[in-house]
Amino acid sequence: MTNQLLVKVTIHWLLTVVIIVYLITGFGITEYRIVEPLTFGLLTKSLAHKIHMNLEIPLIILLILHICLPPILRHSKLKKLGNK
Amino acid sequence: MKKTMISRGILFLALSMILIATPGCGVDMDTNKTEELEPVEIREYEGVKLSSIDAFRENSIKGPQEVDAESYVLRITGLVMNPNNYTYDEVVNNHQHYKKVVTLDCVEGWSVTILWEGLLVRDLLEEANPLANAKVVIFHAYDGYTTSLPIDYIMNNDILMAYKMNDVTLPPERGFPFQLVAESKWGYKWIKWITEIELSDDVDYRGYWESRGYSNNADLDKSFFGD
Repeated sequence: MTNQLLVKVTIHWLLTVVIIVYLITGFGITEYRIVEPLTFGLLTKSLAHKIHMNLEIPLIILLILHICLPPILRHSKLKKLGNK
Repeated sequence: MKKTMISRGILFLALSMILIATPGCGVDMDTNKTEELEPVEIREYEGVKLSSIDAFRENSIKGPQEVDAESYVLRITGLVMNPNNYTYDEVVNNHQHYKKVVTLDCVEGWSVTILWEGLLVRDLLEEANPLANAKVVIFHAYDGYTTSLPIDYIMNNDILMAYKMNDVTLPPERGFPFQLVAESKWGYKWIKWITEIELSDDVDYRGYWESRGYSNNADLDKSFFGD
């Protein structure tokens, strides 16, 4: 696996995890009467709220990277091939 | 023959007119009674657009509570000279009414602008005559929910305990009989189904959400986490 591919896959999986956690914690805020017992009291409303708020910026950064990185990498790869 | 036909025709017409006119002429006593219809909420007040009373998200700790107005008692307890018990009618009828448009901002991200009508919490506290060492006002609700506010905040601001919203009596899911209108505070301070107002000197007291990590100050211009 090349370095570029590793970066792409890492970003992809990180983004997937962040989106899932973001969704679960969102439900943990609005539907805390269901989520709290389902998680055996681990995900309380306030904890869900804190995690949810702290995930906002990482989510945006990962999303931007996920969208912008592949074309950038493709462009640099083509440039390298052209130089050869 | 022709005369008989004409007179029969006139008689028929006269009888028909009497029959038609009778229901309208009789004064029906029941129509003079004022029947009370379902109240309709207003959606604009003095140029301010109001949210619907159905625009709230139901996020109370145990779901909507049904409080019986007949057996309801509001207790004023703790550090007061005159602990008081009020019935629903005593609270509503024996105190000055006030109206105010205030926006409730929930930590979940939604907000509603409502015309609240009620009495001042300050008026109730003044009747109970708080002791000098009373620093905190703790509100207890029918479902076990609690929250607290500094006594200075209650006494120095026009804080309503509302029994009407948008000209409609609070429905059970909105906090009947009383909801606190804790303006400039986050929504978790707006306690519903109030049953007891306790005065305390415990400045470290934390209510239901405050003891679970939310700010005890709950000022709208600050984060709802922390102090």
